Amino acid sequence: MGIPTVGAAAANIVHYAIGYDFEYTNGMPIRYVGFPFPVAGQPKSVHHSYVFEREDVVSGKPMMQAIVDGFTKPLTEKEKFQGRPPEAVAEPRLLEPDTEDNLQQLFKDKDWTDYNPIILPTEERVAAMLKGTSRKPDEVVKKITWPGGARNLTVEKVAVCAVMAGAKPQHFPLILALATYVPFGNSTSSMANMILVNGPIRNEVKMNYKGNVMGPHNEVNSVLGRSFTLMSKTAGNLHAGKTTFSSLGSNLQYNNLCIAENEEALPAGWDPVHVQMGAKPTDSVLTVSTGWSYISSVGEVQRGYPPQFLMRDYMRSLSGMGASVIMDPAVAGLLKDSQGFNTKADLAKWLAENVEKTIASFWGNGVVSTMWASMALQGLEPHASRMKAPPDSMIKPFQPRGIGVIVTGGGQTTWFVTDFGVGRGVKIDDWR
Amino acid sequence: MRRNQLFTCCLALIMAAVATAGLAPVQAQQKAAGKPLITVLNPAIESKMVDREPLSPRLDTLEGKTIYLVDINWGGPEAAYSVFEEIQAWFKQNIPSAKIVIKRKYGSYSNDDPALWKEIKQNGQAALIGISG
Repeated sequence: MGIPTVGAAAANIVHYAIGYDFEYTNGMPIRYVGFPFPVAGQPKSVHHSYVFEREDVVSGKPMMQAIVDGFTKPLTEKEKFQGRPPEAVAEPRLLEPDTEDNLQQLFKDKDWTDYNPIILPTEERVAAMLKGTSRKPDEVVKKITWPGGARNLTVEKVAVCAVMAGAKPQHFPLILALATYVPFGNSTSSMANMILVNGPIRNEVKMNYKGNVMGPHNEVNSVLGRSFTLMSKTAGNLHAGKTTFSSLGSNLQYNNLCIAENEEALPAGWDPVHVQMGAKPTDSVLTVSTGWSYISSVGEVQRGYPPQFLMRDYMRSLSGMGASVIMDPAVAGLLKDSQGFNTKADLAKWLAENVEKTIASFWGNGVVSTMWASMALQGLEPHASRMKAPPDSMIKPFQPRGIGVIVTGGGQTTWFVTDFGVGRGVKIDDWR
Repeated sequence: MRRNQLFTCCLALIMAAVATAGLAPVQAQQKAAGKPLITVLNPAIESKMVDREPLSPRLDTLEGKTIYLVDINWGGPEAAYSVFEEIQAWFKQNIPSAKIVIKRKYGSYSNDDPALWKEIKQNGQAALIGISG
């Protein structure tokens, strides 16, 4: 802006702002002050103490002294510097030879794993993995720009992670398609991710979509989900306290809800997710969605209370930013035959029309407030009207297109409601 | 001649000691234990640093200056707003000649707001922007 500016961040993120963000994204050594964490959700009395009584976590000075200094202390030579920075630390293609035990420990020390043992990516193993695709090892799958650093994720680097995760060459096209999403969705809100696979490749590689599909009972579901985490931590450079700042985090990040749809058991008229999104039934497609949680039906459907009613009840607790229902084919059949939902879109439409929550509950969600409340204050619709409405008035937070329906498993009338919004996927066949 | 032999012998011992010291202690121990060494590929990718931009010159004093406090809306409109009100109260007590303007940025924290940046540049002499986290 051309005037003295000071940035303000909470203690959980301020060191990222003055370190990693400065070096790899921003380039300007902005003077930051660090407030105690948390700031959001605290009463005015706490905010008063932050300003009048507490210290800046960066400088250790009283907070207002640090802010005044930020505006008035003359610039240092480092703050006046313009031009090319020193080169970043080079990453050699090969690591120094060492014993298996030492290398396993090194990978943990570098935070390159999920802290389960990995398969060490020897040259032989990586070469074998690369036979799972026609793509060249040095081809760039994606330039990773978040979090900063403009790292080129090559086919070979993906193969390294695929080996580490325990994958086989026949799984590699799936993992390359998944690599286009690296790093996975991650935020201070303790976000998680969901991987959905559709199309013939499910059968080709023998994914589990017929029973206990979300549990640890299938090699491909396991290694595919795990590889997303390993790619996000290595190529994606996501490390706790350095580039990620969740408090609770998410256990779902171990496997990233890696599932495949049971397309063979869909009721007539219910299209697979990838076909709903415009792909052909013969395409193999991988879709990654972000969300936070899922709620179980806890047991079988009860005849006296059809499943869409309980789904509706549960969905009232979700933010309204997106949702999907993951259900057993038996539930899908019941919804079609007994309740008249002839397509997935029929069910999504009914849920969008019937899920209601209070305005107060809607704005009570931190992500909703972060994304939309400020737009409401600036008069943008429909947020402005929702902000003006009485707190106890009702709102229909979902749009039909924002509710995905996934059918998987087989054998019981159980289901989950989730806040993972299902979007358009990527074609796996492009990565063969 | 004997003196030269002694010198050569000492030099060889020194070189051997230096060569051994070149191995990391643990690696040397493992090697001594006869465990095979493995070569693996590095999963990490080199990050590229961005070009540096200098900061704007600082002010000599805040007396009589207009200072913008900009809420980026992280965590919602109530998350940090009262922090800015407290900062305004501090200025009122301690540097009353400073004019404090509290502004809310357009959209969520990730949206740009060129109109606000223009206003601040035209009317302000300093700005505090936050609070992320």
